[in-house]
Amino acid sequence: MHVFVTVGSTRFDNLVQRALSDAVLDVLRAKGYSKVVVQCGNSEFDSKAFKQSGDTWVRRDHGEVEVWRFKPSLQEDYEQADLVISHAGSGTILDVLRMRKPLIVIPNETLLDNHQQELASALEDLGHLRASTVSGLPETIQTLEPSDFVPFPQFNGSRFREMLDEEMGFAP
Amino acid sequence: MVLIAFATVAILLICILARIYSILPRSTKTRHSHHSRDSCRLAVFLGSGGHTSEALSLLSSLDFSRYSPRTYICSAGDLLSAKKAVAVEAAKAAESPSHPTQETRLNKPYSIITIPRARRVHQSLLTTPLSAARSLAVCLYYVMLLPLISGEPFADVVLLNGPGTCCIVCLAIYFSRFFGLPSPKIIYVESFARVRSLSLTGKLLRLFVDRFIVQWPDLLRDQGRGECRGWLV
Repeated sequence: MHVFVTVGSTRFDNLVQRALSDAVLDVLRAKGYSKVVVQCGNSEFDSKAFKQSGDTWVRRDHGEVEVWRFKPSLQEDYEQADLVISHAGSGTILDVLRMRKPLIVIPNETLLDNHQQELASALEDLGHLRASTVSGLPETIQTLEPSDFVPFPQFNGSRFREMLDEEMGFAP
Repeated sequence: MVLIAFATVAILLICILARIYSILPRSTKTRHSHHSRDSCRLAVFLGSGGHTSEALSLLSSLDFSRYSPRTYICSAGDLLSAKKAVAVEAAKAAESPSHPTQETRLNKPYSIITIPRARRVHQSLLTTPLSAARSLAVCLYYVMLLPLISGEPFADVVLLNGPGTCCIVCLAIYFSRFFGLPSPKIIYVESFARVRSLSLTGKLLRLFVDRFIVQWPDLLRDQGRGECRGWLV
């Protein structure tokens, strides 16, 4: 099974470093995830244990771990993943939940605005994802039951279409 | 003398405020334009990043034959938003390969315009009024001046969803309204990411836009203006 860790276009050193820590890699392996792919964006991490080939850092002593910074689209990586661990950006959340993938989000506490935290908790309350913290990540993975997630509704364009059509005087 | 000058300024100020008050959206105003129309000019502000994704999601739900032509307003330097807009247009065109009508053959179904940012990230507050004024000047050109010269209205409806620079678009539309010129309806949709607190842009625009739409009901618990019909993106 594959895990995909993503921080989008942001920089989130703590999450990337935590995802590459022994604590997290061990619990992932114990849960049966043999491959970890990390999209680290602009984050800093310790690449000593890695072998660099092109834009990708790889290590194989802890299951297979692959780290890279950016790709034009993450769609394919979401598709391949059996679990996604992400910063709590709303775009990533929507993309991943619509693909019906189990999702753990970690709001970046160092950001001034806490609305990421609000979104993460609200969606966790509805059962669509698990919200965690950098330090609590191993425990969240340990207790994760992918079958417990409530499926997220697919995009419903009719709501906005009806509102605007009505406002602009188009017959329904 | 001083008294007369003071009185004049006061009267002028009262007149301006009364005018602004008179053009504020009314909740009691009849919402529906009862005449049925063929098509409606749509403008949408693409505020980059998550704002752009949400705006284009909203847009993709629309019947493009009704909302035509479309104007995408991008911030200077934001090439990615412009690219995404072109991609949405291409996807929509592929979805309904209609025969080009007289109108669409003559005019492009959409255009992309660029306005300077009101404030760049990390820009000093001292120079912000200057860049905001430049941004407003360009908006006024597109919203007010160009329609006056060309006779082509800017848009019938404008969709805004943040961030800050979209307030400048709203302000430019209010200039048009102030002078009684044709102006588009303004629809503001707060981001899906806003669950319990409105964004600063949302707070600023709430009283000035024609429809104020949020995606989480908690944002309306203050009984203020706005409506929520659930998630839209």
